[in-house]
Amino acid sequence: MAEQHTLEIKDLYASVETKEGRKQILKGVNLTVHSGETHAIMGPNGSGKSTLAYTLAGHPKYEVDSGEALLDGVDILKQTPDLRAKEGLFLAMQYPVEVPGVSMTNFLRTAKTEIDGKAPAIRTWAKELGEAMKRLRMDPKFASRSVNDGFSGGEKKRAEVLQLELLKPKFAIMDETDSGLDVDALRIVSEGVNRAKENTGLGILMVTHYTRILKYIKPDIVHVFADGHFVKTGGPELADYLEEHGYDEYLPEGADSESALA
Amino acid sequence: MAETTQKEINIPVADPNDPYAVPAAMPSSADKEPRSFDVADFATPTSKQDDWRYTPLDRISEFFDVFKPSGETTIAIGNTDGTAVDPAQVHVSQVKLGEGVSGTVSKPSDRAAAVEWNSGRTATIIELEGEIAKPILIDITGSGEDLDALHLVIAAADNAKADVIVEHHGLARLAEGVEVTTGRNSHVSTTFVQEWAKGSKHVANQRIHVGEGASLRHSVVTLGGDVVRIRMDQDFGGPQGDLNMLGIYFVDPGEHIEHRTMVVHNEPECKSRVVYKGALDGKDAHSTWVGNALIQPTAPGTDSYELNRNLVLTPGAIADSEPNLEIENGNIIGAGHASSVGRFDDEELFYLQSRGIPETEARKLVVRGFFGELVEEIGVPYISQHLMETIDRRLARGESDAMKAVLEDK
Repeated sequence: MAEQHTLEIKDLYASVETKEGRKQILKGVNLTVHSGETHAIMGPNGSGKSTLAYTLAGHPKYEVDSGEALLDGVDILKQTPDLRAKEGLFLAMQYPVEVPGVSMTNFLRTAKTEIDGKAPAIRTWAKELGEAMKRLRMDPKFASRSVNDGFSGGEKKRAEVLQLELLKPKFAIMDETDSGLDVDALRIVSEGVNRAKENTGLGILMVTHYTRILKYIKPDIVHVFADGHFVKTGGPELADYLEEHGYDEYLPEGADSESALA
Repeated sequence: MAETTQKEINIPVADPNDPYAVPAAMPSSADKEPRSFDVADFATPTSKQDDWRYTPLDRISEFFDVFKPSGETTIAIGNTDGTAVDPAQVHVSQVKLGEGVSGTVSKPSDRAAAVEWNSGRTATIIELEGEIAKPILIDITGSGEDLDALHLVIAAADNAKADVIVEHHGLARLAEGVEVTTGRNSHVSTTFVQEWAKGSKHVANQRIHVGEGASLRHSVVTLGGDVVRIRMDQDFGGPQGDLNMLGIYFVDPGEHIEHRTMVVHNEPECKSRVVYKGALDGKDAHSTWVGNALIQPTAPGTDSYELNRNLVLTPGAIADSEPNLEIENGNIIGAGHASSVGRFDDEELFYLQSRGIPETEARKLVVRGFFGELVEEIGVPYISQHLMETIDRRLARGESDAMKAVLEDK
């Protein structure tokens, strides 16, 4: 029985600086995720799904106006991004950043050391890394290449899932992990996520625009996110409904439709 | 030094119809300065002169006129493992400046170099012979704020094999002249490390001569000093020489670190590589790299390349990077250059942080990787390891400074 953890987002408002001035993107987000649960967060483009992901992880571009995000009772929004990661939060990015000059091996080992608070034993670590890469069908030579440097879109996503499997977070936010993947890569990446969940009892927030990935990673709960907050919550059948009908009814044509759904 | 100024003074004046008639002439559009031991042959530096345009002249004005040296700088010579050098292979001597081999490798190329020559009293000469197994360490410790002059000559005999490391520590105001000359078919590495204490000033000139069929790996690692300016002039003594110049610098707020390399291909079929990399951290950290490469008509079959990369870690730093390539021979293998100034950006930092790596650690990781690529290329394990340790020591210092700042805030 895996340990039980809770991530509670309470009335979260957050803004971003734009050329036109400060703009509030998140407008009262409320969500509770427990260990072992998979939540799909779906919604139209520009609804603020990615902003939610990056705000939780602590990207400096987004500023929290009010609200909290409690991971086992600790408000991570007050912490630097590295401390949030140490609390057990992981963000798999839509566009993983290239860090030239820093090898994957060195990066992974440093991250693992920081997260665990002690260096992993060299032999078991090398074995674990090798096996994890093999399962994700990653060429061993990726380990000696610079972080994400020159990786294709698919390779970057595999590298994100590799980190997920090795760092063993309590909660993972997967930001459009399915974008840019072909069918085979989608399957391999999804298997990695499912494996991580099986092994660690991970709670997952799956941010996605399409239902494609949900065929591989089965959500327990599906949410619709529009205009900066959750407007509808349902079971897996909601994803099928959205697949058929699209997000039209959630598009911000007027405040009326939004409040009607909320 | 009156005696030495009596030496032949030959300010090259090139005949436009035959610009290469005088070997010492520099028919370079990037470097028109004379070559002379006489201070009077050089005007006092101003920022209008190409050679000095990036240098904060007001901070090193004491280096532009002949001065009385304190003579307090200490030099200790031994093997890196702490044992004494083998006198059968390593001859160490002190001579009056201008005697022995001192002053035989080219001539000063700027006013500061001529001032150093005319202010100094003695030269320390290290002559290397045969295959020397143990790396040699020349340990130079600064003498504080009194201005001093130091002249060092490293002369490797034909067929010699040796690794020499020159380390600079302490607080110093040092005018330094270094001559490196390597014999035919010798294989030598010289590594110069500046780990000066805060407030130090170091104005150095190096004159380097690579023998026929010889290889020289010349590394400069500058990790500290208020103002450090190192001007290096090199030429070849015969065909098939191989010069590999590598530089690493780390510039803190307010510091000025300047490296100028002048590689002259004057002989056929020689190869040169100049790779300098620097990291700059904080407000008014200023680095300058000027790489001149001149390929003369006498140097067919030349293969030359120079590169400079700068990594700006925090806003407010300035990196000047200027490669100058003059090719006066169409029959060459290659002549290339590259230069860049990049930023360690917020996205990289966020990515590393989001994996649990704290900001200071993330910067260290990036800087270590940035220099590591270069250090790995050295291929001499002892030197690579030594340099990585030096860099790590430097990075650890940054961390403890940051820690200090936190403590002082409270």
